[in-house]
Amino acid sequence: MENTTIVETHSLTKRYGSGVLAVDSVGMSVRRGEVYGFLGPNGAGKTTTLRMLVGLIRPTSGTATVAGHAPGSPAGLKKIGALIESPGFYPYLSGRENLRVVADYAGVSQKRVDEVLDIVELASRAGRKFGTYSTGMKQRLGVAAALLKDPELLILDEPTNGLDPQGMAEMRKLIKDIGQGDRTVLLSSHLLGEVEQICDRVGVISSGRLVRQSTVRELLGEEGVLVRAQPLDQAQAILARMFGPDTVSRQDGAIHLKVKPEQSVDVNRQLVNAGVGVSELRPFERSLEEVFFQLTGEKQGS
Amino acid sequence: MIATIRAEWRKNRFRPAFLVGAGLVAAITLLVFSTNWYQALHPGTAEHPVLLASLYADQFVNNVMGAGFPLGAAMAIVLGALLAGSEYSWATLKTVLVQGPGRLTTWSGRVIVFAVWMGILTAILFGIGAAYSAVITSVEGHAIVWPAVSEIAQGFGAVWLIFGVFGAIGLALGVLIRQSAAALGVGLVYLLSVEILVVRFIDTVNNGAYKWIGDLFAGPNAQALIGHVSGKTNGITISAEQALLVLAAWLIGLLIVAAGLQRVRDVT
Repeated sequence: MENTTIVETHSLTKRYGSGVLAVDSVGMSVRRGEVYGFLGPNGAGKTTTLRMLVGLIRPTSGTATVAGHAPGSPAGLKKIGALIESPGFYPYLSGRENLRVVADYAGVSQKRVDEVLDIVELASRAGRKFGTYSTGMKQRLGVAAALLKDPELLILDEPTNGLDPQGMAEMRKLIKDIGQGDRTVLLSSHLLGEVEQICDRVGVISSGRLVRQSTVRELLGEEGVLVRAQPLDQAQAILARMFGPDTVSRQDGAIHLKVKPEQSVDVNRQLVNAGVGVSELRPFERSLEEVFFQLTGEKQGS
Repeated sequence: MIATIRAEWRKNRFRPAFLVGAGLVAAITLLVFSTNWYQALHPGTAEHPVLLASLYADQFVNNVMGAGFPLGAAMAIVLGALLAGSEYSWATLKTVLVQGPGRLTTWSGRVIVFAVWMGILTAILFGIGAAYSAVITSVEGHAIVWPAVSEIAQGFGAVWLIFGVFGAIGLALGVLIRQSAAALGVGLVYLLSVEILVVRFIDTVNNGAYKWIGDLFAGPNAQALIGHVSGKTNGITISAEQALLVLAAWLIGLLIVAAGLQRVRDVT
């Protein structure tokens, strides 16, 4: 039976010197054929984790299997295309010539160069020197290089970094297109909208720890009920007694209640019976942003 | 390995630094021969008299050997530091390594292409030197007689080795410091100042009791090798055999240390 997991890590840890713990016991699994979003704030450990997966950095402890091989093994890298952080190319060579160099290293036919230039829509500007490229063109060339091997697993680390809104939209479309079919895409980002629009599953990393891994649907599907009532403190106290204090939070003058929407009837009855005026009672779905801030402990708008 | 060498050659064959280096070697050779010819024809303009006969074709190997050290060595350090250091400065090392050629294979490919470029620079030096000396010989109405092939090969090999050793210093510094600008700065300061001062100091300690240590540095051995090949052995105490051995040891040692660094260190 074919293994359904293409990336699997167990307690993957990277510590620099005796101090900085960049990645702390990460256990992630990426399934074949999915677009997996690796989400986390800047400095959370995303890039360090990805660098360990492709063998650029050696883990302090823990294990990883990528495309059926140990990270960095030539056999595994044959199946992986990666754009790690900013695209690194030779500024004095043209985009096409850079890809030819990369194709030589990868042992890929030179014919593939023009194919990937077409995929990323860079063929018309491939003759220009890389040093003269805009940020968007550089990112596209980076994606093109990652596609040269027609990889089973494509690892893209913040591919929309530095792009303007149009460039970001184009890159998102490109990644969606690339992720069609059997190819697995592991996309790291700190842009929540990007992940929400593109990914099937996400892993959220914060301060080096993987704090959540699930489908986007599951992550957003932690349903709840929004309650606006007067007096609000009394309503909160009643609801905390009913469902427990951990299920109740206040936001923007309303109570967010982590219960199933079907329980709205009970909520309404209890509040009204206690003499609390209920002005609004409705199901709500949290945005990925809210989930993200809750999971990572980051403050919204900070 | 062949694919890696092809990739290294593809990216370095028209690299501006190497092209400029080649141009500089050619220009300096032309300048030195022109100056010497002028001084030979105008006695009194040179600090030391230049004999016209010393510029003829049969002497061209002796005349080009001087370019090997320190000028050629300095250029080799710069080119080595640029080649290795820029892979970090441009973040291209990670692009290369994720293609899967392996760290030692990548390093070996880079060293081979660098050695080829050092050979090209040596060939330019010898080619222009030979051509210019032939012109001088013809203009002065003498028959062109070339040095023995073994003499040319010996000279070529010595300069290539010297370029290789000092290029390896640049390569190793580029890997160690992980950027090109600081690496070439440190390399040049070492060549043109630190090594000279250290060797001079060691040679004077305890009436020269430790001169054998000073004789293990790359610079004195490069000078000795050039002196032996060009027949200018005045003041040279290091034998040709020792010079060859010491320079070969420097070359191999530096390349192994740099390969080890590239193999074990994280690429951040």
